[in-house]
Amino acid sequence: MAVAGAKVRAVAAEVLDAVISNGESLDTAIASHEVRISPDDRSLLRMLCYGALRRHWTLQGWVAQLLERPLQRKDRVINALLRIGLYQLNDTRIPDHAAVSQTVEAARLLRRPKLAGLINACLRRFQRDNLADISPATEEARWNHPQWLIEMFRRDWPDDWEAILCANNERAPMWLRVNSSRHDAVSYRAQLGDLAIPAETLAGVPDALRLAEPRGVDELPGFAEGDVSVQDAAAQIGARWLLGSKATRVLDACAAPGGKTGHLLEVGGEEIALTAVDSDASRVESIRGNLARIGRSATIIVADASKQSEWWDGQAFDGILLDAPCSATGVIRRHPDIKLLRRASDIERLSDLQSGLLEALWPLLLPGGRLLYATCSTLSAENEAVLGRFLASHDDAVEDDVLPNNNIRDLMRRRACGYQILPGTAGLDGFYYACLEKKVS
Amino acid sequence: MAKLKILEFPDPRLRTKATPVEVVDDNLRAFIGDMFETMYAAPGIGLAATQVDLHKRLLITDVTADKSEPHVLINPEILERDGVTISDEGCLSVPGYYEEVERAEHIRVRFIDRQGEAQEMEAEGLLAICIQHEMDHLDGKLFVDYLSEAKRQRIRKKLLKERRHQSAAVVL
Ligand SMILES: C[S@@+](CC[C@H](N)C(=O)[O-])C[C@H]1O[C@@H](n2cnc3c(N)ncnc32)[C@H](O)[C@@H]1O
Repeated sequence: MAVAGAKVRAVAAEVLDAVISNGESLDTAIASHEVRISPDDRSLLRMLCYGALRRHWTLQGWVAQLLERPLQRKDRVINALLRIGLYQLNDTRIPDHAAVSQTVEAARLLRRPKLAGLINACLRRFQRDNLADISPATEEARWNHPQWLIEMFRRDWPDDWEAILCANNERAPMWLRVNSSRHDAVSYRAQLGDLAIPAETLAGVPDALRLAEPRGVDELPGFAEGDVSVQDAAAQIGARWLLGSKATRVLDACAAPGGKTGHLLEVGGEEIALTAVDSDASRVESIRGNLARIGRSATIIVADASKQSEWWDGQAFDGILLDAPCSATGVIRRHPDIKLLRRASDIERLSDLQSGLLEALWPLLLPGGRLLYATCSTLSAENEAVLGRFLASHDDAVEDDVLPNNNIRDLMRRRACGYQILPGTAGLDGFYYACLEKKVS
Repeated sequence: MAKLKILEFPDPRLRTKATPVEVVDDNLRAFIGDMFETMYAAPGIGLAATQVDLHKRLLITDVTADKSEPHVLINPEILERDGVTISDEGCLSVPGYYEEVERAEHIRVRFIDRQGEAQEMEAEGLLAICIQHEMDHLDGKLFVDYLSEAKRQRIRKKLLKERRHQSAAVVL
């Protein structure tokens, strides 16, 4: 008999090591490694890597207890493999004997046959000594977030920080955006129902459907033709909000990969002229791909949006979406690697970048026009603090604090300026929106 | 000591029903030594004599990582089985494929050991699964026989194709 599943565990350890030791993003690491295993094993690979990152600090504590001395640098991948093994024993329904034998075998596949025995001994000791029952020694191990981020959440959300930390470590549901120029969400849901794919609507976010279980996009009718896209419902609030004021000349200033660009076009129809700008040329390609799939077009420009002389034709916009680059702390549940890859110092730098973009784009807005500022961050420094500074220094800017529809009230937390959706609320990603209006002098 | 060649599905010899071992002598013990070498090198956790083209009722296992629990089961018989467990199994004769198979969770077996002594043993978990898997070999049965016909044919075709590629590579 051969031991099954060693390969996927070996590859999972390599992916995890690429994130932990080399700072690669999880998406990139998975994309470059998953080709080595069979398509049947890829969902297990994801489950192991996402899970081990969600539990990063807990696993780190256990590894430190189990290894008498740290592994040599060249054997770091075995540290990652041990995490993969512990994660399986503690958090999955994989039978323990299978988890142990396959993880041990994976050490051989990773060309560390001498360390196979060490993996075996550590996993057995973890079971025997019930390490899982010992309460975590540090806040990091308890909440599975880095200390600096725990502090920031605690400061920004004195009543909610624990709920936020928990929600960040949950799995996120799959949300769809139904192309409203072709179907309404209720009729598309009926199509899904015929295929035994259950889905729920969400009051106040009319194009959104939440799937009971994640699916491959090829299982979704009309996906290739653009009838439907994958997008969290929290991200779907922006397009209708901005277009609610009948904006017609619209700028999507940080547009790639084009999720909101597509939604603006689906909702706005032929009436709007849309310019989509992004500074990252490779990501701009995905805007083109996304728009081609839904059969819409926009003026797409690769440029730094804050350097208007390099791309702007001088005609002002009456609607601007600034979906600013941010820490992505609102989408940690979809990208658990963010917890490891971000540094405390990133936040201030991002806050400056966000202020700079807001400052630079404001002159491009017509009097009476509106700018919707959005981030998928849950940190004040990137949200209300940026807006507060801006409003204090711009007499021609006021907040338009009326929500686009009353059904989303319950999803939103009012901040000093703007509104925050906290992750996990109604199954949503964490998102921030603030709508500014330019006074007519 | 020598490493033996492992027969691969769909080789018809894997379908042979093995006959009982009559004498446990040095000859057989030398063969068992070769079987261990073959199994550890593969690497595997169990090997039936059928898989190395000796059609006698003999199997070996070692489910540990450090080669610390080798078992030799000659003329094994299952006396009791209870519980069910489902896990992914793979087989050195069906390289690269792993599928879910249902087995008894716990078994009691009678067998003759390497010294020719009659023994009884309880096994559970991976060891129980492995013994059942290897005993199937002695009856000409493979884990792929528990899968759907379509799945089995798909595996068969892929393995045949791979083998053609391999032999082509050798010729070149
Ligand atoms: C949060 S993402 C936008 C997501 C997008 N709106 C969507 O819904 O699919 C932020 C984007 O801002 C881009 N970006 C960062 N700095 C920029 C700048 N100075 N000018 C234009 N785009 C910028 C990044 O390349 C990134 O694609």
